[in-house]
Amino acid sequence: MSHTKDNLHKEEQVHITSYKDHFSTLIALLLLTVITVVISVFGANLRSLSVFTALLIATVKVIVVAYYFMHLKYDKKIYTWLVLIVAILFVSFAVLTSIEYLNR
Amino acid sequence: MEHTSGFSLPNSGHNRDAEASKMGMWLFLFTELLLFGGLFIVYMVYRSLNPESFLLASFELDVTMGTFNTIVLLVSSMTIAMSITAIQTGNAKKSILLLYTTLGLAIVFLIVKYFEWSAKIHHGLFPGFEVYDNLPPGESLFFFLYFFMTGLHALHIIIGGIIISVVIHRTNKGLVNKEKYTLTENAGLYWHLVDLIWIYLFPLFYLIH
Repeated sequence: MSHTKDNLHKEEQVHITSYKDHFSTLIALLLLTVITVVISVFGANLRSLSVFTALLIATVKVIVVAYYFMHLKYDKKIYTWLVLIVAILFVSFAVLTSIEYLNR
Repeated sequence: MEHTSGFSLPNSGHNRDAEASKMGMWLFLFTELLLFGGLFIVYMVYRSLNPESFLLASFELDVTMGTFNTIVLLVSSMTIAMSITAIQTGNAKKSILLLYTTLGLAIVFLIVKYFEWSAKIHHGLFPGFEVYDNLPPGESLFFFLYFFMTGLHALHIIIGGIIISVVIHRTNKGLVNKEKYTLTENAGLYWHLVDLIWIYLFPLFYLIH
């Protein structure tokens, strides 16, 4: 049976993530953790760089967790939009606070 | 048969709405994110005011223990995600086993945290101790934020552990099953949030050298 209008309205096709996919996500997260620790421990003389990369890698990890483990990839797009709105709200507050501090 | 309870709507108890439950959980997670977000901004401001002291104080933290706990939380995030896969495919036994694994990892995390905190307290680095009171202001701020933020995070681990125990109990009783697994999904979302917060706490406190 092809996609009738009725089928599209019933959201019955739940996506089930395989064990293998979950395991691959974990491997990716562990690799990113190793990279951060290595950069921090061996790149101690590149201080400003290491703080920036640590935060960058943390953000990549958070996106991986939210997208795969928290199922944003397969859920309705409204969840992704809401997460983005909260993220933008937080980042703009953080940036505005820094600007205020830098202009003293 | 007559209803024994005093008040009952027609069809009451059958109005499950998995989508609404999930939305409710996400909205709650947003309040959690902003709570920790506020604390991260406090950290950011105090750190930019005392860069040298924060750097010095961060060397007191044990990177090995921090890395170990990061790995523990990441693995536990995977096991709880897998327990959802298990219940969706009708394997309640496997789901329960994976939930117990997650619970076990939560306990491991707390034990490591206990040793870390005791070592700091032993060295007098806890608010109220003489060593702490005589630290340069920037360093005592670092430890204050460290204890407050990791403490609040540990509280979330404890609450997450309680939620996971409830899911195990209800799955055992068959109340969570192949058709009805919203509780497992929402417990998973909460547990992933606890992991997300740690992903930022770890580099900010342990790895800023």
